[in-house]
Amino acid sequence: MWDFLPHFLHQALFGAAAAAGFGVLFNFGLRALPWCAAAGALALMVRTGGQELAWSLEGATFAAAIVTSCAVSALRGQLGPACNAVALAGCIPMVPGAFFGQALLGFFALTAPHPVDAVEIFVSAAEHIIRVIFTLAAMGAGLAIPAQLLKNQDF
Amino acid sequence: MGTGDDPVVVRHRELERYATVALKAGRIMMESGASVSVVHRGITMIARGFGVETIGLRSGYTSIAMTVHAADQTITRMLQVGRLGVNHRLDLAVRELCARAEKGGMTVEAIESELARLVRETPRHSPWFTAIAVGLACTSFGRLLGIDWLAFGPVWIAGAIGQYIRHHLLHRGVNIFIVAGAIAFLSATLGGLGAMAVQSGTVQLAMMASILLLVPGVPSTNAQTDIMDGYPTMGSARAVWVLMIMLFAATGIWFAEELLGMRG
Repeated sequence: MWDFLPHFLHQALFGAAAAAGFGVLFNFGLRALPWCAAAGALALMVRTGGQELAWSLEGATFAAAIVTSCAVSALRGQLGPACNAVALAGCIPMVPGAFFGQALLGFFALTAPHPVDAVEIFVSAAEHIIRVIFTLAAMGAGLAIPAQLLKNQDF
Repeated sequence: MGTGDDPVVVRHRELERYATVALKAGRIMMESGASVSVVHRGITMIARGFGVETIGLRSGYTSIAMTVHAADQTITRMLQVGRLGVNHRLDLAVRELCARAEKGGMTVEAIESELARLVRETPRHSPWFTAIAVGLACTSFGRLLGIDWLAFGPVWIAGAIGQYIRHHLLHRGVNIFIVAGAIAFLSATLGGLGAMAVQSGTVQLAMMASILLLVPGVPSTNAQTDIMDGYPTMGSARAVWVLMIMLFAATGIWFAEELLGMRG
């Protein structure tokens, strides 16, 4: 249990930093950035916990998005209409951009005149792209379901 | 009697002004990263504030159209939408204006001038601050992916330089897909060279982490939101846009890997 703690905290810390960094890019105000960071830390903690319990990446991402969306919905009195955006910023560190890139690079490699291990490359790239689609879908659904059920105000 | 005095023409002109200002608010929200359902609700709120009924709304990737109706008169107007980005503070400010306008009592001129003021005065973080923050986000993503501590600094610097140059290229009106390819090449090369210089054991991951500033996270979730909200056309357009950005980014990193001899 305690062996796992440093990894858990590491993921939370860098989830927070990534969410806050993208919060600046999305032009969140300085007062909203700590909320983005907290949402990012929470999302990564839940996802890391899920993966430690041997959940799939997609399942853990879904759980993380649901928990993050519920948590910011509970704070909607303070956050107001910004709550959905804060939840989204918190989940940005879970966007599988690297998988997407690796999948496309794999498909590029298949276009070489005589690719070595073409089947392996294709299977790996296809696996990556499937994971991208399912992870994005899990994240989007996880964010949308609580926001819809709890009727978060957009205005 | 000239057409200028014709009550039908006068009423049409009134409706046109209502529709145009409502569409302008919608355009700003859409360009700031709002989903279609939010944009449509905002437009409808402003129209309701003028006491007119919204018969229909349609959003495409580059335009919004609305049909409004009042006192037996109906008109349809369309407005062009510019490049879709993300600007949370401007989006929220326009939403707040929509809520105020819905209560009634605001003139077309008042809403127009308030919209212009919001576009002009809503603060943005400075480019250098954004670059540092985005560099930090890239290197944090990198740590989540598994880059070693040696690559931490190079990825931060590569991401920051990439973001700074991307900001200036987009400001100069360079095509967004060309920018994605060029920045991916630049950032991946810088991140890779930096990681090699410090003898990192995760050079390839560092190159990938350096370009993660280009991953369009908000458009990809907005694509799904739009489809779930019943706007599959817009959602599909956003998804294709995301795919195109990633294709250009992957091309950039592919060239960088070739240059640094990282491929096969």
